[in-house]
Amino acid sequence: MRAVPTDSLIPAETAARVGELVAGPTTATITAEGAQRYAQAVGDLNPVYFDEEAARSAGYRTLTVPPTYVAYALVKGRPLDAIGVDGLFVGERPITLDVGRIMFGGEEWDFLEPAHVGDTVVAETRLAAIDQKDGSKGPFVRITRETTYTRVPDGAVVARTRQIGIAR
Amino acid sequence: MSTDRRSSQVHVEDLAVGDELPVVVRNASRVQLFLYSAATWNPHRIHYDTDYARFEGHPDIIVHGPLQGAWLSQYVTDWAGPAGRVKGLRWQNRASALPERDYEFRGIVRGIEGTTVTLDVWEQTPDGQVLMPGEAEVVLPSRVDR
Repeated sequence: MRAVPTDSLIPAETAARVGELVAGPTTATITAEGAQRYAQAVGDLNPVYFDEEAARSAGYRTLTVPPTYVAYALVKGRPLDAIGVDGLFVGERPITLDVGRIMFGGEEWDFLEPAHVGDTVVAETRLAAIDQKDGSKGPFVRITRETTYTRVPDGAVVARTRQIGIAR
Repeated sequence: MSTDRRSSQVHVEDLAVGDELPVVVRNASRVQLFLYSAATWNPHRIHYDTDYARFEGHPDIIVHGPLQGAWLSQYVTDWAGPAGRVKGLRWQNRASALPERDYEFRGIVRGIEGTTVTLDVWEQTPDGQVLMPGEAEVVLPSRVDR
């Protein structure tokens, strides 16, 4: 394990978890209702998400879904007592850091296959990287979680995303 | 956003490096933020509880980073047309966006290789502050058989 300086915001036991599965495997089947609610909330009324004929004439085998929706199709309901004071769900396997708050820093998606309504997808999230950096507002930690979405039963990877959290 | 743009399909031969994509303006109501939280099962208070958002140091409730990412994705898929396929999309959320304000989505063609087009795409305030820089790879149909 690499040496961690004493002023590190990353506890050694957290640094040691890079590569570890931090969420999943979670399985869900993509529904038209879920995908269309998401599309409506985004304000994206593309007919390929709502009209079977439009989807087929665009080359999809049935209704497709907004590309980033696959991440939300896999979100499982959690009970109220799993919610912290900030309103966030406490992670199943939380990543501990000596910081005040974590902001959403961005995302990197690879879309390998279109996702369709009716597809059953398995999501697995790994802690891909955790690095401390010096920013203009002081040190911060960049946490990268990589999630792979695999269609079952054929095993095709539909999408991969690296979600970046900025903690300071 | 218009159906006209979706029905008119862009082809890779129509493009040159340096071409600018049409500007699209987005503006989220407070109701939209609530609905997006609900549709994504996201109970984070900074998106609906103004007092709590201020306690965390924000000026108001803030637009979800992933909602801005979904807008960016829509910006690219709308431009790519029904036969286009977005293969990659990356973005950084650098600054917070607020409800009831206009944000512009802009893009420029950075590269063309075969039928794959690389775009720089971003979200900015009307006075030019970039909130969310990004990149996309899109496969477009061709007017010739390849």
